[in-house]
Amino acid sequence: MKHLGNIRRAALLLAISVLLLAGSAATAAMATARSGAAASGAAASGTAWIRLAHLSPDTPAVDVYLYSFGNPDAKVVLHHVGYGDVSGYLPVPGGEYSVAMRAAGAPSTSPPVLSSSARVSPGSAYTVLAVGLRSGLRLRIFHDDLTTPTGQALVRVVQASMKHPQVTVSWGGMTIASRLRFASVTSYQAVAPGVETAAVTVGTTEVRSTVALAAGSIHTLIVLDGAKGLEVANLEDADGSTQLPTGGAQTGFGGTAPHGPGSPAPWLEVIAFGSVLALGGSLGLRCSRRRTTPRHALPSRA
Amino acid sequence: MTIRARWWAIIGAGLAVVIAGTCGLLLTRHGTGGLRPAPAASVATQPAFPAPTAPIVAAAPTGQPPPVARPTALTIPEIGVKTRLITLGLTAQGTVQVPPTTSVAGWYTRSPRPGAVGPAIILGHIDSYQGPGVFYRLVVLRPGDPIYVRRSDGSTVEFRVTGVQSYLKDHFPTQAVYGPTPDAELRLITCGGAFDSATGHYLSNIVVYATEIG
Repeated sequence: MKHLGNIRRAALLLAISVLLLAGSAATAAMATARSGAAASGAAASGTAWIRLAHLSPDTPAVDVYLYSFGNPDAKVVLHHVGYGDVSGYLPVPGGEYSVAMRAAGAPSTSPPVLSSSARVSPGSAYTVLAVGLRSGLRLRIFHDDLTTPTGQALVRVVQASMKHPQVTVSWGGMTIASRLRFASVTSYQAVAPGVETAAVTVGTTEVRSTVALAAGSIHTLIVLDGAKGLEVANLEDADGSTQLPTGGAQTGFGGTAPHGPGSPAPWLEVIAFGSVLALGGSLGLRCSRRRTTPRHALPSRA
Repeated sequence: MTIRARWWAIIGAGLAVVIAGTCGLLLTRHGTGGLRPAPAASVATQPAFPAPTAPIVAAAPTGQPPPVARPTALTIPEIGVKTRLITLGLTAQGTVQVPPTTSVAGWYTRSPRPGAVGPAIILGHIDSYQGPGVFYRLVVLRPGDPIYVRRSDGSTVEFRVTGVQSYLKDHFPTQAVYGPTPDAELRLITCGGAFDSATGHYLSNIVVYATEIG
């Protein structure tokens, strides 16, 4: 009898622990269903861009060296850079750089004619200009814009004509550089996009050329002494979409999307029903035991 | 069968139901997983220092860069993508158009042509209602993977992946994706992240950043 009682107790204990287990499983399930947030990060390319230009009319061709401070072995050499030459943007990791100029063909160990250093940040573009006359040659470093006002273009003017110390530049009738002096650079100006005539005016003479400035593009116009007089070089500093769409793109229909777990409610109902059944059963058992005990006792008393 | 045996049967049945319910609950907690491959780590590469010499472009009087032909096809060997490119514009709502079918990608015609200065934009679907679309496996691309765009003049321009990013559409970085760059770049755009079955749209966009090489 005592042995049987132990079995019953064990069975009740089992029932209770199963109920507890079911309860904790349900709680855990609810917790995992709630978690699962998506993370998003900002794009940060590690690249910076440096561009070099020789804009000193009376300075002979040079070799331009670009050194990285962090990495002395890494260097870029542009050979035989003459007046009016502009390199493309060189992609470099962000960091500290120095630019040195030597006469074309001079040994790389010789002291540079001119040098300057700059810190460049990832995601930014820079233009290094060698400007002025040979006697007063200097390096100027510009941080180039990479964003335009919505629907507009940006343009700036570099005055590198020695023969015409002061020029006025207009584009589509709008003056974008007024009496700009030799070796000067305007800041970027926003203009409505279009294909217009750029006019460089010196006194009564005017040099015209057609310049297209698209929305979302950034340009530098360089006024140069050409073989046949004034010239305008149109550099495209950067370009983007002419029209920016709103928001993201709807590029999926969900056919391969992971489907989240369904509601735990039906399973919890099953567990609750089972628990009620088991508890009801054990209560009934207890009651029936109490009722039947005297009947069992009768023979022993007799 | 005694009364007590009947009570025992009821307890047993109750326990069996509880155990079955618990098993059912635990087995259905993980969802169906979907077919999607695991996303690649989103890393932006540090580019190698450039080659010892770089091209010098003379600031020619006209200064206009040579025109670049229209893109016609896209190949991404790493994920088996080989598709022709259709053209895409803007919707009446000002959002970017997407290809009408999920098996082709499209070039956004108001972005620079691939190989010209600036970020060329190419969009493709991750999936249809039934299964994978042309950019289904875009998210597994890694920095350094090559991408080829063929153009109408028969030339091909090669790009290398520099990074893969996921953005919530509500916080899409339009300037970073569509805005000006000083070099020739490429952006591949598709969907990703959680799917909202109420609206029928994914909540995020996957953007692959790439730069022209050579």
